[in-house]
Amino acid sequence: MSRAGETESPRRRCALHAMMEKPQKTQEEQQSSPQVAPPDGGWGWVVVGSLFVSSALVFGLIRCLGIFFVEFVQYFGESAQAVSWITSIGLAMQQLMSPIGTAASNVYGTRPVVMMGGFLSGLGFILASQATSLLHLYLTMGFISGLGWALVFTPTVASVMQYFTKRRSLAIGLGFTGVGLASFAFSPLFQYLVEVYAWRGALLVLGGLSFNMIACGALIRPLGKPKVVLKTENLTKLNKCSSLLSRIFECFELSLLSHRGFLTYAAAITFFNAGYFIPYIHLVAHSRHIGFTEYNAAFVISVTGVADIVGRIASGWFSDLGKIRMPHMLVVWTGLLGLSLMLIPVAVVYSGLIVISVVYGFCAGAMTPLAFALLPEIVGIGRVLGALGLLQLIESVGGLLGAPLSGWLKDCTGSYTVSFIAAGSFLVLGMLVTMVLPYFWSCTAPPSSSPSKRKSQDGSIEDGLLKQTLSSNSVPDNLCPLDDTSYSEKELKVF
Amino acid sequence: MLHPSCTQHRTGQRPLFSMANVIQLTLLLICCDGMNTETSPSPQSDPGITTQKAVSKGQNQVIIEELAILTPQKIELLCNLIDIPNNPPNITGYWTKDGQEIENSEESVNRNNEQYILKRTFSIEARDLGNYSCNFRENEAQVTFVLDVPAIKDTRNKPVVSYIGDSVVLECKLKLKHTPNTWNWYKANDTEKVLINVTANPQNYKIVINGSDTKLTVLNLTEEDSGKYICSAEFDIKPRESYVKLKVLSYTEPLKPFIAIVVEVIVLVTLILLWEKCNKPQQDNSSAGENDVCSEQTSKLAGDENNGVNNTARQRKLQP
Repeated sequence: MSRAGETESPRRRCALHAMMEKPQKTQEEQQSSPQVAPPDGGWGWVVVGSLFVSSALVFGLIRCLGIFFVEFVQYFGESAQAVSWITSIGLAMQQLMSPIGTAASNVYGTRPVVMMGGFLSGLGFILASQATSLLHLYLTMGFISGLGWALVFTPTVASVMQYFTKRRSLAIGLGFTGVGLASFAFSPLFQYLVEVYAWRGALLVLGGLSFNMIACGALIRPLGKPKVVLKTENLTKLNKCSSLLSRIFECFELSLLSHRGFLTYAAAITFFNAGYFIPYIHLVAHSRHIGFTEYNAAFVISVTGVADIVGRIASGWFSDLGKIRMPHMLVVWTGLLGLSLMLIPVAVVYSGLIVISVVYGFCAGAMTPLAFALLPEIVGIGRVLGALGLLQLIESVGGLLGAPLSGWLKDCTGSYTVSFIAAGSFLVLGMLVTMVLPYFWSCTAPPSSSPSKRKSQDGSIEDGLLKQTLSSNSVPDNLCPLDDTSYSEKELKVF
Repeated sequence: MLHPSCTQHRTGQRPLFSMANVIQLTLLLICCDGMNTETSPSPQSDPGITTQKAVSKGQNQVIIEELAILTPQKIELLCNLIDIPNNPPNITGYWTKDGQEIENSEESVNRNNEQYILKRTFSIEARDLGNYSCNFRENEAQVTFVLDVPAIKDTRNKPVVSYIGDSVVLECKLKLKHTPNTWNWYKANDTEKVLINVTANPQNYKIVINGSDTKLTVLNLTEEDSGKYICSAEFDIKPRESYVKLKVLSYTEPLKPFIAIVVEVIVLVTLILLWEKCNKPQQDNSSAGENDVCSEQTSKLAGDENNGVNNTARQRKLQP
């Protein structure tokens, strides 16, 4: 399958270069077509593996940084809140710098950007191991590593989306399981590293581990030329001045800011983000607050984590079956998630809490791949890089607001009940906003952004031109002489 | 708080006190320091001694009460036995220390409104610290008072690790909030311990004392600073000691796994890129040639929109 993809790609580029002019003139504010048809398998699974390792080394790592915080508090003599800013800065950088990561990928291609991101994340930790004050940690672990994570995560997710169409959700779901599994594996590993090497040595080793993301980046084979390069090849008539502005416009996909579907979706995801992380922060404290032992509270978290992983894979597989449309599935999962969040304070019995936590974990995991996989359906696969970057930037507002709000609510009311209810209502609100998406209430996928439909449109145009060329001669055979089968046959086969 | 217990008078033959359902033992302690439980009006005598009341309810079980003793003092320990079936007019009680019956401690206790109070005053010095129990010959109920200096929180059994040239903070904390007279830190050298004198060595050591906890900061670490550090909480009656182990590493230690991982990453990246290059020599050659041809084709096709004949004519020209 991968072999076929590789031999085909030059041909496709050939044909599509020819076709590029026509579609861009006839379809006005269309999303540009992908350079290559998604292989939907083959090397795509290697890229999924790369996403698995990358998400483990980004988010799995962030989730387990708490082990270092105890050491920092003791070594630097600062308060726990001052130390927790390190994670906040890192996460904020990862989300705020995402558009830069995707813009760079649009210009240079995903591979060099991800490799550079892996290098920066490792560098941040290596420099952090030499820190002599908390400020150094903010700058190194927060800014530098955060920037590295931004350059790694979003382009990798976009690449997986470009490699798959029919099995996109499953691929993304599988890729994200890396986060859950990593948080299981990294906790004892970090504990061990800190005990043997103290926090300085442990940070140094973690920097080395983060360098593995460079190898992950190397695995992402480009499917075609980066979008901006492609565009500038074709549109040769722009003059220099306006080309810089329009290049920036292109790189960051700022045209999306006027796209109604994208803005609605961004608002929905922001609401989701506001509510999504709150239980991760508060579930342990809430369990202990009700009176369960430490061991029981930790078990609740583990159970939630396992349900999360299962939910990701199950939801990805199920949504790829195509029985129910993706936006509808997303609404189902987020509705259930909001409900289960609001029910958490109601569960006072241990078994009840376990059941609700399993439901919560499953729905939280189920929602994640869908939230990403739905994006190409809204904006088209050609703009997905820029869209992902902008989406992360916009949703960071939700994340930044959600956690302090819930902490403040807990301080005001003295228990976690109100925070959980607030989190649940954010999710329900996001669910309602999702229902406003264009094409939500129709039974079939929207015509213009469906990849299969678009392919058939291109195919019809291409067919037309091919028939013209073929009418006289089988000339293309000699021009692109690689395979024995004829050019036209190969083209028609793909469509 | 006193819990009136519900005891029933049971029928049938049984030993005198063995099946008492709820036996409540009220302990009245007269001492100088220590228990943070409720206070209540004390029926007592000796001036200059404060009274605090600690209450336990027992159900035919052994009750253990911990008392922190900071200074040598006189303590009166009191056991109050209630709800005994048949309510005999008097019972015999005695005291034990660390399991051994104290000589001449046996006395007869008279009933007093269905309560039996056994009390004794002890003079506690350093050597008198231990477990004191009141027992009754006719009943299995027992209360044990553990008299000891306040304990230090168990520091990690694993050693604290740091690096040459770095600094490290060692901490000792009491389990409950008592304040010793002072804290002392010692470095253990094989068999003896050497007091750490901050004034003599200010650039290497810093000691901070904060009531019930203390922190020793060791600066400019060297390999010889590894070893056992003993923190000692000095109370009037007896000091309480605990230790922390320190291990000083050189920077080459974590460098070894780090370099191993970096080498692995470099090897992986090289392999991946090489493998890709080796698998695509054909494609690279053909795409180079094709690109020339294809770009020609592009410009020609772009020029002629509907002119299929012209296209084919030009393509014929481009045939090698």
